[in-house]
Amino acid sequence: MIKAIVVFNNHGKPRLIKFFQHYNEDMQQQIVRETFHLVSKRDENVCNFLEGGRWASGKNSDSENLIGGSDYKIIYRHYATLYFVFCVDSSESELGILDLIQVFVETLDKAFENVCELDLIFHVDKVHYILQELVMGGMVLETNMTEIVTRIEEQSKLEKSEAGLTAVPERAASAVKAGLAGAPARVVSAAKNLDLPKLPSNIQLPNLPSFR
Amino acid sequence: MTEVMERTLASLPMFMKGELGGPFGVSRGFQTLIKAIGESQSKHEEERIMKKEVSYLQQKLTQPDISNKHMKELLVRLVYCNMLGHDITFGYIHALKLAQQGGLVEKRVGYLAVSLFLHEDHELIMLLINTIQKDLKSTNILHVCMGLTAVCALISTEMIPALLPMVEDKLQHPKEVVRKKAIMALHRFYLKAPNMVQHIHEKFRKVLCDRDPGVMGASLNIFYDLIKEDVEKHRDLTNTFACIMKQVIGGKLTNDFTYHSVPAPWIQVQLLRILGMLGAGHKKNSEQMYAVLDETLDKSEINHNIGYAVLYECVRTVTAIHPNPALLEKAAERIGRFLRSHSNNLRYLGITALTSMLPVLPGVAGEHQLVVIECLDDPDETLQRKTLDLLYRMTGPTNVTVICDRLISHLSTTADTYLQSDLVTKITQLAERYPS
Repeated sequence: MIKAIVVFNNHGKPRLIKFFQHYNEDMQQQIVRETFHLVSKRDENVCNFLEGGRWASGKNSDSENLIGGSDYKIIYRHYATLYFVFCVDSSESELGILDLIQVFVETLDKAFENVCELDLIFHVDKVHYILQELVMGGMVLETNMTEIVTRIEEQSKLEKSEAGLTAVPERAASAVKAGLAGAPARVVSAAKNLDLPKLPSNIQLPNLPSFR
Repeated sequence: MTEVMERTLASLPMFMKGELGGPFGVSRGFQTLIKAIGESQSKHEEERIMKKEVSYLQQKLTQPDISNKHMKELLVRLVYCNMLGHDITFGYIHALKLAQQGGLVEKRVGYLAVSLFLHEDHELIMLLINTIQKDLKSTNILHVCMGLTAVCALISTEMIPALLPMVEDKLQHPKEVVRKKAIMALHRFYLKAPNMVQHIHEKFRKVLCDRDPGVMGASLNIFYDLIKEDVEKHRDLTNTFACIMKQVIGGKLTNDFTYHSVPAPWIQVQLLRILGMLGAGHKKNSEQMYAVLDETLDKSEINHNIGYAVLYECVRTVTAIHPNPALLEKAAERIGRFLRSHSNNLRYLGITALTSMLPVLPGVAGEHQLVVIECLDDPDETLQRKTLDLLYRMTGPTNVTVICDRLISHLSTTADTYLQSDLVTKITQLAERYPS
């Protein structure tokens, strides 16, 4: 079972938080901070898995057992400015989850057309809808990116028809996006073929200077 | 890459100037907030900006006659504030109302907000039952899916009886995504209150034979837990699972399920775990799966991570079930591939697999001694820890001194208190076991 999915940037600012087990607000924030603390000091070419540590031992001095004691792991991937972290228990396959994170990121890239950190900030609801098609109740629901994108597009179509958007603003938006579409297409397809050790750190998540 | 970044930066002002529903599709208020946070010079200032945003939202929500569309935007901003840890309890009831009253798009945001803000024990959850029931009965598939997702996230034990029949009903829905979500919801019910779903175990078995492999795959989650709880009751399914596995690796599923040339890897992993549980300590069940495990070991694609995931799981299963010497030899050889890899992830899994093999094939660690020593000296903490664990389990009367020396030297170099206490425990246990 997946206990939690957290995305934060290189400064520990949360960009997505989803818990599949209830913790109160303070606990949630503490978990995010501690996870950031653990993954941010890892080198680039070490394991993407973390286990043990303060929580797992249950011998935490200042708070009770956080995420479920010794039966859990942190599995994470680092893309440019963002960390994608899945906290799971022993019933999940480590490599399977690593690839699931990749599927998630590729889906985001497809759905947002060259995703960047700003997309996660402004459209956190859309990111959640994508996540809802990937993981449900802490269990993996769907692993096929095309399926997930189809589900999301069904919902978007309905959204557009309900809002009654006219063609004009859509054309303007697509013209702007088209200008950015050239290079990323190659990058995304290159990223898909990259093997695990050479993580696709060039997936489009630019670190914009004016945003921290 | 830099060219793209420059173009993204250049288009930013254009996005930011967008009005409500502009290219970025967000309100000016939200854009201003994000810009302000980005430009803030200190944590203190950021706190101040966030507090201002929260009180602005609180004040806006008390106004009467807010359109559903506007409410949707306010709720998205509330989700953002909630994510950063601010108290937005005043917003809960509005989220509930939007889930009840909104059109499709607003309903979706309402449900999302509710699932992020509330939890199953919250007093307001009961108010959601009617909404969920209505959505489950709807002819619109998206409504049904939303209802099922909400059920999975928020169901409490008291709510189960009210919703169980409707969810059960969805197992026969013509659309596979609905059947899939229904089975996931029922899994959640099972985890919360196993006695309440006892009467539908037969239905789960039917789902295992669903014409859509995705739905069958979803049912594996339930079977994993059912079998974990009571393996005897499901021994008769061993052959079924072995057959499904055979079909999957034989390429009988459509290309949709293939990921990097591996057929339905996640389904394979689940099946292997289930087979592992069924075969453990049971000769007859194990015999039913030797052939398919052998085939899996042979067919495993190892040019991608996910192929290794399946291989690893297969090795674990072979180790867990009634021993078959030929299979064990093959599995031990495959572990070598993990250990010789340059990826720390694979070496980590190799060490773990080696550790689990020790009870059935004690000599196996000796074969890979050199690599094990290398892992011990690797700067990666996670890998070191796993290798120390392996060493501890490998200890016998001949090598206890050497191994203890290693453990002690690690004890003196590590600063991690958890690892220190773990090592001390291990060393003292070894000292007791081999007093000389």
